[in-house]
Amino acid sequence: MKIARFFGVSLIAAVALFAVACTTEPEPTQPPAPEPTATQVPTVVSTPPPTRAERPTPSSGQPKVAPELLQTPEGSGDEERSGGIFRRLWSDPPTLDPALVTDGTSYGIVIELFSGLVKLTGESDEPIVADLAESYTVSNGGKTYKFILREDLKFSDGSPVTASDFKWSWERAAAPETESPIVDEFLGDIVGVQAIIDGDATTADGIEVIDDHTLQVTIDAPKPYFIAKLTYPIAFVVNADNVTSGGENWTDSLVGTGPFVLKDYSIGERMVLSKNSNYWGDAAYLDEVHLLLAGGSAMAMYENDEIDITGIGLADLERVSDPTEEISKDVIEVPPSFSTSYIGFNMEEAPFDDVHFRRALNFAVDKQLVAEAVFSDLVRPATGVIPPGFVGFNSDLEGLSFDEEKAKEELALSKYADPDTRPRIVITLPGTGGSPSLTTEVVADMWRRTLEVDVEIQQVEWATFLQDLHRNRLQAFSLAWQADYPDPHTFVDVLFRTGSSINNTNYSNPDVDALLEEANVEADPVRRIELYQEAEEIIVEDAAWLPLWWGVEGKVLVKQHIEGLMFPPLSVPIYQHVWIDG
Amino acid sequence: MLIYISRRLLWTPVLLFVAGLFIFSLGSVAPGDPAELMAGQRADPEAIARIRDRLGLDDPFLVQYTRYAANALKGDFGESYRYRGRDVIELLGPKLLVSLELNIVSYVVTLLIGLPLGFWAAMRQGTWKDPAMTTFMLLVYALPVFFTAPFLILVFALWLDWIPVSGWSGMFSTHAILPAFTIGVPGAFVFMRYMRASTLDVLGQEYVRTAHGKGMGHMTVNRRHIARNALLPIVTILGFSLAGLFGGSLIVELIYGIPGVSRLALEAVFQRDYPVLTTLTLLGATMLAIANLVADIMYSLIDPRIRLRA
Repeated sequence: MKIARFFGVSLIAAVALFAVACTTEPEPTQPPAPEPTATQVPTVVSTPPPTRAERPTPSSGQPKVAPELLQTPEGSGDEERSGGIFRRLWSDPPTLDPALVTDGTSYGIVIELFSGLVKLTGESDEPIVADLAESYTVSNGGKTYKFILREDLKFSDGSPVTASDFKWSWERAAAPETESPIVDEFLGDIVGVQAIIDGDATTADGIEVIDDHTLQVTIDAPKPYFIAKLTYPIAFVVNADNVTSGGENWTDSLVGTGPFVLKDYSIGERMVLSKNSNYWGDAAYLDEVHLLLAGGSAMAMYENDEIDITGIGLADLERVSDPTEEISKDVIEVPPSFSTSYIGFNMEEAPFDDVHFRRALNFAVDKQLVAEAVFSDLVRPATGVIPPGFVGFNSDLEGLSFDEEKAKEELALSKYADPDTRPRIVITLPGTGGSPSLTTEVVADMWRRTLEVDVEIQQVEWATFLQDLHRNRLQAFSLAWQADYPDPHTFVDVLFRTGSSINNTNYSNPDVDALLEEANVEADPVRRIELYQEAEEIIVEDAAWLPLWWGVEGKVLVKQHIEGLMFPPLSVPIYQHVWIDG
Repeated sequence: MLIYISRRLLWTPVLLFVAGLFIFSLGSVAPGDPAELMAGQRADPEAIARIRDRLGLDDPFLVQYTRYAANALKGDFGESYRYRGRDVIELLGPKLLVSLELNIVSYVVTLLIGLPLGFWAAMRQGTWKDPAMTTFMLLVYALPVFFTAPFLILVFALWLDWIPVSGWSGMFSTHAILPAFTIGVPGAFVFMRYMRASTLDVLGQEYVRTAHGKGMGHMTVNRRHIARNALLPIVTILGFSLAGLFGGSLIVELIYGIPGVSRLALEAVFQRDYPVLTTLTLLGATMLAIANLVADIMYSLIDPRIRLRA
């Protein structure tokens, strides 16, 4: 779910606000809070969280954080890790109901307030670990999952969490009146859930409460990525009393199982999270997290000590990077997120119905040049769909890299070789204000020069973009996709399988579909990855996209006294490990 | 005059109905679908259809508007699309209050600077000081807010470290200072011009010469005879300004991170939050109608030559 959109939130800012990924373009701009609602951005995780240890220490001295602290972020017993308040800009979340979360802004808060059976860790070697479940076993050829819950689990109001709470939560998420837009995608594999979604049942046989601490889940086919999907908020546990008694605005006084609770929320103004004293694990160090929702001049607020973290606008980049400036000590490099930005071609529209033409467009773009000249190498040119560091990344995939000769050859082979009859191309990108994306302009220019095609760039605001995208009215569009869960399925299958609801390019290749069908239920992890990579290769050769960049590295400013802040490539709860030094 | 006023008041609901109709109709012609925005990018068509159904978006436009208007008459302005389950009024209330406070305090700044300056300039008519001050204020007036606001932040918050950059904690807090001056000072130019013209008008009056001739002190003449009479016409202008008090000052609110109504309005536009937009429009139209009425009444009170006739 992660489409990124460009709304003044630039990459660097977006990276800073990790969850909010999205943007079509990695141009550092104002570092605002994540854009509201429209950002249907998803999120999720893995790879080692960079921590303060990676803070460059330009002028002198040791990293402020002892390395051992970094390695055990949950290490406890250190009295010096005082609490305090962590302040940052954010945006009003479209929802705080885990069943309705589909965007990064909501996700970033909801994962601090709620939790589920399993969670993402931000580590690449073990991306998923048990959370409220103590352990789980898989049986029945990969179709049955048995979760053993931890002892003495409590909601933030002190009431116990049992297996039946999960059953209730999931069935409630599936109920039509909950109006979850994504339940089908995330919980639809469970036997009986589809019937609830269709309104034909109210309970699902596939979710069985064996006893208070044991939950057994049966899915319709042995899908190894099922467990990964349970890390998404829709699978989190909610409190039945809380939800039913609270009415439509039950989240105003929500009861959760995350490291924080919602202490106060004034729309458009401020959200305060405070430590959950009933959290099962190590309590957070911080007393409170203040999310400022009214916007403002981020850089000035940061310099005036009103917030503790901010992205860096293009205009400030040079100044804050100057080692003679005091503020340069606050600069932290943020590793790339698991996202891929691309220009998608609508294959039902001329001239994108011709594979040679699409390939020509791919060969004509010198991404390396753009990365160096425009982005100072902050972006990495994408050769495929799955980003580096992510499960299933194929480092051998060369893709359709820049080659003017090949571009011209492919153009000659296509049915649009004749410039007189060739339809013009319109690339649409979402966003408001400012000039449209520099990248898109450069790409369009490369197409014009090498292939002499007629290209127009059109920017429309998100609401219009979304509608046109759903109505299949866009000819070519610029977007980014960020992983929802650590499995190649979140890229290759959901974006390119025939009939997938977010296959916006209308790509359809029976060979790819067959590979995906096989991969989705393949038990051998190595073979599975191979199948996804094979599919990815065909997709790249078919030039369904012009892949542009993989997650962008960014720089953010973080106050020196803030310690333990992580920037995982997928969203995981982070404030829990933050403490204030001194 | 009572007949005049009551007739005006009777017309107001009609005016509001039409204004509401206009803004509401945008919903049916503008691209973008609130239900799609609520459901998100990946939602399947069924989920979107369910939401449309719940919001009644599939009904004919006039049915939707009539339903809205009927509820509005009962004081129910509906629920926000963007903030599910929130009453529009509950949502708007606190924001309007913040914008009102901001506007009042800015207005006070405008008056406190504009009126004395206008008087000062008028008294120096014919010297270089008058045109110099007028030109200077014109310059300030012409500066765009997105230049002045960051400039003020830089100087008073970052260099001098006197006041906070962002946030809001009431019109009497330090948070109000920068935004109030950002809005208030440029606006002072307009009042300065009014006041200057009005003062010059009074200066030419015979009673002023008489007062001087009687040997009254300069200060006394200035205060009692000139300033007081010069202010009279200004009062009528104040009435017109009332309407603006509930409005947001978009750029200022955005730059200073003030949780006022502008941000919400802007967001409502992008999110196709029609209940919020329509309600805001109705509020604005109401304020304008009232302000016009107040201004008319004030005119007739101050200048007996003007008679309001039904």
